[in-house]
Amino acid sequence: MTLAATQAFAEDKRPNILLIVADDLGYSDLGSYGGEINTPVLDQLAQQGVRYTDFYVSPTCSVTRSMLLTGTDNHIAGLGNMGEMTAPNQMGQPGYEGVLNQRVVTVASLLRDHGYHTYMAGKWHLGLEQDQIPHARGFERDFSLLVGGGSHFDDAWNVEWQIPKAPYTEDGRPVEKLPKDFYSTKAYTDKTIQFIEEGRQDGKPFFAYLAFTAPHGPLHLPNDWLRRYKNRYDEGWDGIRHQRLARMEELGIIDEGVNTADRLWFLPRSTSLAPAARVMLGRTMELYAGMVEYMDDQIGRVFDYLREIGEYDNTVVIFISDNGAEGNDLRGMLSGRVGSLGFLHAMNNFAENGHNSIGRKGTFAEYGPAWAQVSMAPFRLYKGLLAEGGTRSPLIISGPGVKGVGELNKDAVLHVMDIVPTLLELAGVQHPSTYKGREVVPMQGKSWVGMLEGRTQSPRGPGDWLGWELFGNRAIRQGDWKISWHHEPFGTWDWQLFNLAKDPGEQYDLSTKLPGKRQELIALWDEYVKTNGVILGERSPFEQASKGLPNPVPEFDDYPPIRGLEAIPYEKLKELLGGKTKEGR
Amino acid sequence: MKRPHGYSLFWVLFSIVILLSSSAPVLATDDGARAYWKGREGTQVFAFSYLRWDINAAGSLQFDPAHYIYPSSDIEASLFLAMWGRHFTFFNRPSTFSLALAGGNVDVDVDTNVAPPEFLPPGVVPGSSFSQSASGYADPNVSFLVNLHGTPRLKSNVDLLNYEPTWTLDAQVLLSVPIGEYDSAKVVNLGLNRWWGRIAFPMKYHFGVFSRGYMSSFELIPSVWLFAENDGFVGQTLKNDPLWQLEAHLTHDFTTSFFGSLDVLYRTGFQSEINGMEVGDDVEIGNVGFTFSYQVTDNVSLRTSYLSNVFGDDNLDNSILKIMFAYGWNPANENAKKLMEGN
Repeated sequence: MTLAATQAFAEDKRPNILLIVADDLGYSDLGSYGGEINTPVLDQLAQQGVRYTDFYVSPTCSVTRSMLLTGTDNHIAGLGNMGEMTAPNQMGQPGYEGVLNQRVVTVASLLRDHGYHTYMAGKWHLGLEQDQIPHARGFERDFSLLVGGGSHFDDAWNVEWQIPKAPYTEDGRPVEKLPKDFYSTKAYTDKTIQFIEEGRQDGKPFFAYLAFTAPHGPLHLPNDWLRRYKNRYDEGWDGIRHQRLARMEELGIIDEGVNTADRLWFLPRSTSLAPAARVMLGRTMELYAGMVEYMDDQIGRVFDYLREIGEYDNTVVIFISDNGAEGNDLRGMLSGRVGSLGFLHAMNNFAENGHNSIGRKGTFAEYGPAWAQVSMAPFRLYKGLLAEGGTRSPLIISGPGVKGVGELNKDAVLHVMDIVPTLLELAGVQHPSTYKGREVVPMQGKSWVGMLEGRTQSPRGPGDWLGWELFGNRAIRQGDWKISWHHEPFGTWDWQLFNLAKDPGEQYDLSTKLPGKRQELIALWDEYVKTNGVILGERSPFEQASKGLPNPVPEFDDYPPIRGLEAIPYEKLKELLGGKTKEGR
Repeated sequence: MKRPHGYSLFWVLFSIVILLSSSAPVLATDDGARAYWKGREGTQVFAFSYLRWDINAAGSLQFDPAHYIYPSSDIEASLFLAMWGRHFTFFNRPSTFSLALAGGNVDVDVDTNVAPPEFLPPGVVPGSSFSQSASGYADPNVSFLVNLHGTPRLKSNVDLLNYEPTWTLDAQVLLSVPIGEYDSAKVVNLGLNRWWGRIAFPMKYHFGVFSRGYMSSFELIPSVWLFAENDGFVGQTLKNDPLWQLEAHLTHDFTTSFFGSLDVLYRTGFQSEINGMEVGDDVEIGNVGFTFSYQVTDNVSLRTSYLSNVFGDDNLDNSILKIMFAYGWNPANENAKKLMEGN
């Protein structure tokens, strides 16, 4: 930490902090990252601040959130595994409590103790017990969804049958009933504005954690937003993905000529699908895009309010996603087999999935791996996995003291653990070694303040490295090099080596070519395990993945040959198949 | 994590499209609920209905668009209605062409003390009673329906998937050809011995989600029936004023395969004139009833409805029970099913 920098921020009025987290938002969804989704508010934020290309999170939400709020590794903070997925041999082990444990202190607790108002609205997912909820972990005011997800409407069903109704708390007390017109994104925005408004009289700065549950499945939207992107994605995932990649090159997010990920090997080329299939499959992406734009719109409300009360220019805004876009079949996983309690839960709450129904109350639509790979362009795979597609997130920072307005930083390798040290430095707060009589672990993240002030390009040097482990999958990144280990068929049940500078799509395993480099990084993995107390689970949700999916094969643009078809514009193709032939379509 | 879902939605898509396109309109003489819902171009429907009419008339009344009801008469009719319809696109508008053929038998008992002498069959004198019956085919009709507002062309499954109607307005023209059974010596016939037809403007408002299991609609069908002269009515000339009709339905899906409807049918007009002299009074009949429809398979649906007069002229008791079997198909979807079933 640089004291000068701390003083620069702390001498005057300390900045407010608005930490905005999207849930399952993809890397390339925002306009400022190459996406076609209309996100004018966040795009403007990017123009007023700085975007970063190499910002890492964990591949799932609660794991990321444990690091986001404590600045240390998830295996230490209590989320060594997602609570819901804890393996038998991890049960009862330190770091595997499945909730935020008492070895860590949250940034909210520290900021509250040092003169900040601390507010939270949105998803918690770090514990349900009275001493684990936001109110107990540093937030003065909160309106929180305690679990990982559920209906975005007032019916409030939880994604998991074990707790059929999603528990919400407000200021530490259970919320008995949500209002009829409840829609998560708007409700969290309203509460954030309300908390700031009600607390601003005393002139203290605030730390507001706005943790949207959008665009996490189920893909839900208010009725008047359902058809906002009608037919926008009929073109199919390949075309949209190519357009995004082109825009990412234009914006400089990716370098020209780098290896981007192939279309996922188990998905068909979208141009090989009949128009009606594209419409059907595109509708889920329409909902997703609508949720992202709606969230952007609501963020705009918060910014407008801050401008109205004259606090916008004194607010550091950080926008991130919590993990890669969701490509897993969460609904299928949660609804279980016929006759199970999961099935009963699904039957009672989200059985309806008609093509005109999805997106409304009582439905559970997801957009699946085909669109998740678009959201995660140019990377490979998606949420839950340790390929770049599971762990890369957009990051936008704006506010007082942030230099390089409008720039894109491609040099910094950043991690979600860095956010707590950054916020503490901005607020002039030291991380303690004990908190309320208990020892707390030190932070592992590195403050970005020097980078934000333009004194360095990255908080990390060439020797610094990052590590991940979740569900038995594992990865290490040092500089441009990355090793990863995945269950088949996502990996090889062995370490693979990639050069991310040339191959961000992780297409070419260099293990055989550069065994020495691979070995170097494996040694770092061993260090990571030792430092963080990693216990590889004896069970993993991905252990049987190879039975459900074929082995990967490289994509060849011209194989299988469907020559000529791709040259036909989509509208023409639709007309041809829709009107002039009798074939099924 | 469970394996990602790849193609499963694809098959969901097909099943949805099949269901939608087989919910084609079934045109019947008294139309019925959801008769004007649109199907994909090329969808065809065959419907066979059985109708049981029981009518008890206390005064001088007329009932059906073509049939005079004798005062103080009892009428029992067992009729069938066979209909074939096809959806197509006409000048870029979704349209339906249909043919209908009716038949069956009608038994009438009349007290001639009450019946106007002009209506009595030859040889029947006032003060007695007579019975007549008729059986065979009635006049077939042909109908053309075109949407004017609210429904885009439905040429493909893409169009169906994008179809979420709110207000719709159609126009219908129906023409009946006088080739049904007719005996000019009888007052009871199934054919009418004259040209007749109808002009209708069906309109509906869809509310709720336009998805099976959630669809609801309010349907209003104003129409007028028009009749040419019958110059062979027991040696006399029968003329009728237009018959004005308003039909309404409030329909709602109870499940994905079962819907119900509250039905109202109001008719007025149809003043009769025999040899230039007015006979009897205007019709004013208000029937109220209900319909239940069950989609048995993708192709087959069964429907039953019941109507009885509850307002209008109280000199007429009538009830109509209808049971309908309908089979709808679209060649493209039938081919898709063949492929999915591995044939």
